[in-house]
Amino acid sequence: MKRLQLIRNRLLNTPKIQFVGFVILLVLLGGCEDFLEVEFPEDRLTGTVVFNNEATANAALADIYNKLRDNTLLTGTNQGLSVLMGLYSDELDYYGSPGNAAYNFYNHTVIPSNSAVASLWNDSYNVIYSANAIIEGLEKSKELTQEQKEPLLGEALFLRAMVHFHLYTLFGDIPYITTTDYKVNSAVHRMDWDRVYSLLLDDLSNAKNFLPDSYPYGERIRPNRYVAATLLSKVYLYAEEWGKAETESSTILDGSGIYVWEENLDLVFQKESSTAIWQLKPSTAGSNTLEAQSFVVLSLPPSNVALSNGFVGSFEPNDLRREKWIGELSDGIETVYFPNKYKEVDFTGETLEYAVVFRLAELYLIRAEARAQQSSILGAVQDLNKIRSRAGLSGTTADSKEALLDAVLEERKHELFTEQGQRWFDLKRTNSATTVLGPIKPGWKATDILLPIPENELSLNPNLQPQNPGY
Amino acid sequence: MKNKYRGYYVLPLSFALFWALSTPLTSQNGSPPLSGIVSDAKGPLGGVNIIVKNSARGTQSDLDGHYEIAAQRSDTVVFSYLGYKTQEIAVGRGSILNITMQPDATALDAVVINAGYYKVSDKEKTGSISRITAKEIENQPVQNPLAAMQGRMPGIHITQNSGVPGSGFEVRIRGKNSIAAGNNPLYVVDGVPYTINTLGATTVASSIIALSDINPLNSLDPNNIESIEVLKDADATAIYGSRGANGVVLITTKSGKNGDTKLTVRALSGLASITRKLDLLNTEQYLAMRREAFANDGYTEYPVTAYDLNGTWQTNRYTDWQEELIGGTAYTNNVQATLTGGNAQTSFLLSGGYYKETTVFPGDFKYGKGTVHAKMDHSSPNEKLKVSFSANYAADKNELPGADLSLQAKNLPPNAPALYDSEGNLNWENGTWENPLAILNGEYTNSTNSLIANTVLSYKLFERLQLQTSLGYTDNRLEEDRTSPNTIYNPDWGLDSGFSSIYLNSAHRSSWIVEPQINWEQPLGQGLLKILAGATFQQQTADILTKFGSGFPSNNLIHNLGAASYILAFADRHTDYRYEAIYGRVNYNWKEKYILNLTGRHDGSSRFGPDNRFANFAAVGVAWLYSDEPFVKNNLPFLSFGKLRGSYGSSGNDQIGDYGYLDTYSTTGVPYNGNIGISPTQLYNPNYGWEINEKFEIGLETAFFKNRLQLNANYYDNRSSNQLTGIPLPGTTGFGNIQANLNATVQNYGWEFSLVSNNLNSEVFKWTTSFNISLPKNKLLEFPNLEQSTYRNSYVIGEPITIRKVYHVLGVNPETGIFEFEDYNNDGVISAPDDKQMVVDMAPKYYGGLENVLSYKNLRLDIFFQFNKQKASNNFFYGNTPGTMANQTTEVLDRWQQPGDEATMQMFTSGDNPEAVLAFSHYGESDGSISDAPFVRLKNVALTYTLPESVLKGMDCRVYMQGQNVFTITKFNGGDPERVSGFLPPLRQVAMGVELSL
Repeated sequence: MKRLQLIRNRLLNTPKIQFVGFVILLVLLGGCEDFLEVEFPEDRLTGTVVFNNEATANAALADIYNKLRDNTLLTGTNQGLSVLMGLYSDELDYYGSPGNAAYNFYNHTVIPSNSAVASLWNDSYNVIYSANAIIEGLEKSKELTQEQKEPLLGEALFLRAMVHFHLYTLFGDIPYITTTDYKVNSAVHRMDWDRVYSLLLDDLSNAKNFLPDSYPYGERIRPNRYVAATLLSKVYLYAEEWGKAETESSTILDGSGIYVWEENLDLVFQKESSTAIWQLKPSTAGSNTLEAQSFVVLSLPPSNVALSNGFVGSFEPNDLRREKWIGELSDGIETVYFPNKYKEVDFTGETLEYAVVFRLAELYLIRAEARAQQSSILGAVQDLNKIRSRAGLSGTTADSKEALLDAVLEERKHELFTEQGQRWFDLKRTNSATTVLGPIKPGWKATDILLPIPENELSLNPNLQPQNPGY
Repeated sequence: MKNKYRGYYVLPLSFALFWALSTPLTSQNGSPPLSGIVSDAKGPLGGVNIIVKNSARGTQSDLDGHYEIAAQRSDTVVFSYLGYKTQEIAVGRGSILNITMQPDATALDAVVINAGYYKVSDKEKTGSISRITAKEIENQPVQNPLAAMQGRMPGIHITQNSGVPGSGFEVRIRGKNSIAAGNNPLYVVDGVPYTINTLGATTVASSIIALSDINPLNSLDPNNIESIEVLKDADATAIYGSRGANGVVLITTKSGKNGDTKLTVRALSGLASITRKLDLLNTEQYLAMRREAFANDGYTEYPVTAYDLNGTWQTNRYTDWQEELIGGTAYTNNVQATLTGGNAQTSFLLSGGYYKETTVFPGDFKYGKGTVHAKMDHSSPNEKLKVSFSANYAADKNELPGADLSLQAKNLPPNAPALYDSEGNLNWENGTWENPLAILNGEYTNSTNSLIANTVLSYKLFERLQLQTSLGYTDNRLEEDRTSPNTIYNPDWGLDSGFSSIYLNSAHRSSWIVEPQINWEQPLGQGLLKILAGATFQQQTADILTKFGSGFPSNNLIHNLGAASYILAFADRHTDYRYEAIYGRVNYNWKEKYILNLTGRHDGSSRFGPDNRFANFAAVGVAWLYSDEPFVKNNLPFLSFGKLRGSYGSSGNDQIGDYGYLDTYSTTGVPYNGNIGISPTQLYNPNYGWEINEKFEIGLETAFFKNRLQLNANYYDNRSSNQLTGIPLPGTTGFGNIQANLNATVQNYGWEFSLVSNNLNSEVFKWTTSFNISLPKNKLLEFPNLEQSTYRNSYVIGEPITIRKVYHVLGVNPETGIFEFEDYNNDGVISAPDDKQMVVDMAPKYYGGLENVLSYKNLRLDIFFQFNKQKASNNFFYGNTPGTMANQTTEVLDRWQQPGDEATMQMFTSGDNPEAVLAFSHYGESDGSISDAPFVRLKNVALTYTLPESVLKGMDCRVYMQGQNVFTITKFNGGDPERVSGFLPPLRQVAMGVELSL
């Protein structure tokens, strides 16, 4: 026993044996690669999982509506068309901080590095990416049936077209993005109207095929076929395809059976409005529109924007819209007028107003214009008077094509003011921007007809060169 | 477990076996044995290296100090041990040789440097390691250890983000290596990697804490730190593999000492204020500017919104808004008590501290921090088993205003209305201004709790073989919120508490690490071979929950989220990061003259896709102590020490987000029709891998005249390739960028010099001067297809990656009175990006520090100057157009007024001259908005008096006065040269304190 211990001691004290021990330990130190297998993060989903389930696919669409309502393009905030293009045209005066990008829209000192221009562009293409991801995800999905896929596809196609259409009206030639592949999308070229127009028609006709006649969730907050058709009539109008614009708008005005003309001006922007075609629902119960928060003036001086006196003064006497849709606040010396289509600034027990994107009145005005262009005077007068009589005005006195076109333009000004920059786009497409804005905007230049492509965009993708003229 | 790992060991294994079988080992030698006991003043000393000169024989003393070695009578035996004088003794007669080792306080090898996984004497180190110790740290009345490092270490450039308490720092070691991945060094506290990325959420903190950087190192009390070592070159950092690219900062906390139990109490109180004010226009100058602006724009009557001019506000008011809003005095208080003690086997340190700092803002805001530090070291009587435990715990609370008022202090018109009305309420002047104090009704609060704990167990299995395991744990919790009650708005708007809101963030990050390690030491030839091998397993999890609530029945309930009528969870993120590695070091020291150091690491990180997880990093370091060569000793007697060292190797960078390689959707928390939206998280790329940093260094370390003058010089050349970046993409891709490896190379090279001179060293009067200077250069070496890439407007090949490309201002046109710019593309229009071709480098050209320490009897004076030559954005950088309703610096007074004027500033405009507004917005993005900002700063001055022992029997007492950022000499015209635009500059501090030990 003692001898054994001695042998053991001798062995352990032999450096060579010790070293072998060292080497064995060295080997034991080793790890294994499985250690690095982290769990898939619990706070997110994989792209494939999203489109194997109708609820998550719907959640992907919900995100797009949220963005359009809260910060992108259609939003009622200072990042959206209603405020920015209202300032850019003759509707709004600016009272906020001169450091805000909106100020440059108001006094026409927009430069390519303007942050609002960048967000109009980038946020829009982000939404387009989401729409494309939905389209690709649905096409690949093996779990969803064709019946489940089609309405979702229809919405995504409609959204893709709608955003591209607005981008074209703002920036002129633009890339029309139809894939999520960043390698393709980072080297795209700008496309001219013919190309954009044909892609718009493709997407919208597919969307019309896929979308149902009825609204998917009862309320008019997700597009049905008529929403796509409304956009299509608008596209035809901008393309000066008068016949098609008339036909397309008639399918909705005469054939839908869903929309009912409302004579009461107070109800047009309420959430149950029977003339609404597409609305954006506020995120939570009890909250109302961002439009109301941007426009309603609670104290003087206004903190953000207010209607210009010139604009308010252009209403005909007795126009009910002047009374119902325009608010005023006075401190005894000065009176400020503000858009009051949306009235609810505060939380209300139940939500009362939804932000309207498309409504029946616009379709009547589209058809009136299309008819006038085709010298269909009687029909044009009929459509125009539909709007005028609701505003408490007598029938139009215009009886020629030219006079009617002017009257429609004037009517659009008073009917659609501060709604997604309609006024600006009307001035632009009728080539009257310089005539109207030149005298009242000291900073106006003829090249302001297009916004600049964002500075970063041109530097990151030279294929987008040249910059729009004047910048 | 899969058996995938064996392959990693083929090399060390075969090398080791070859060596084990081929080397003759000492005890097999035929010489008669010599034995004895090695001791020092305290008793037996283990681990002393004993070598028979000019032979291959060597051993070490065991824990009882006993040794045995075969030696002839004619042999000379060399005894050496870190921190002790080396002794050479001729054997002669007798078989027993007992020896007492003498501590060597002056020698360079007395300085033991922490290199992370091993320790090395300053004399024998092959790598580039800078250090500061408690001596420098405790002179500075700062609350974050990074602040104490500023200017003191060559190659390390540190900038403070803001003077707001609790905010962060930017630390760059030898420049910026990475175009887009993190450039932060790796921080290791007592052996535990410590993530210093902020847990703060931008939505909550960014308005008051610059970059939302709530620095986790705030949790360390600088007074608890023994030393901070910074590893810079490949030799020192390769053992940290994928995390060593940007350098490694090792923080070692204080330990207990063998001896009587001792209690030390420190107390320090001080005052702080901003370092510099801007030279702004007074009311008369300001109103003249505004009147001229309106006159220039053709106004005959002032518009309704020109409140400052049209009679709405008094035109004879003057307020110094800088004084009013950021000109206050902050008070600091710091108390710390430390208990130390121990015996030969066990020593301990316990310390507790409390720190409090108020702010320079008006109102009752403060930062408070409590820290506890405990350290225990134990060894078994035979010294085979050693245990070391350390723990740092800190809890702090930071109560700040909801926003930094620095911007308002600069921009508010000097005749803006009074802050309060006659009744003492906030004055809104009929809604014509935003009262800057209204924001103070909202408050930002954060509280953090952090723990860093580490246990090291080591066991000496055999004489030459030591096993060790380090177990570390870190835990960080942050709770922050920012309130926006309705009272921050003008009451005329009639908003009630239904408009009050709160942003909240609660974040938690914890990590554990296990690092088994084995050490082997073996005399070999006439030298000593040391082998170290180890492995790392680390896991870090993080959870962040960011919430928003609005609509409260009363502002008293604003902190009760349950009372909010609307609640939103912005983000609820969970991340899991895992990391594994094996690492090793082979060090051979031949004759204590030639040293070879090989280090390497095989690393795997979960931040990469499954096929790109592993990579290898290695370095070789060599050193030649030429001063020990006979020809040097004989010919250059004044040279007391000389070492030439060099290293080459690689380390990596994995500082990117987690899960970037997955295609995922994240929830947004925002519902549409009751359905919570989900959005694509990012563009994904499963194929990216490590960023590689190859480092080369050569260094010369010399000392003259018995070490009275020490001079070190380093040249380094580091190249980072395979750049891991979010490559910027045009918006048409839907996102701003994509994570990928970019085939570009960034070079950082330069010189570093440091000098220490003991000018006077008498009993009574001592004077030491230290100086360091770094001359960094940065260059983008390679960037294939830069012109076609998305980076072409950010970088230029051959230029640094710290450049900005801006417009080049030509001056004010004497005819039009408007700024003109170089039209690089000659298209007649000034536009970006084509006309932004002026290249301005924002990185420092050189920086460093100069310290003088003078002591006379019991009085000691430390004076430390920091200097820095670099450029900085001035107040015109994205500034307000002069003439609009915002105050300006007096520089604008030299403006154009009429045709023919030569002026530095263009004509004033109220904002209605589009050309002038446009030109000024270009100016804000031109070289006109960047100025030289070199500075020399009296960074620290400390006067310490130690009371003579005769005064206080049995008690040590020191009293001191300390100043930080005392004064700054600069020609910079934009305020403090180190400030971050829009945030409070670093503060000047003056403090007095006392330290008592008994």
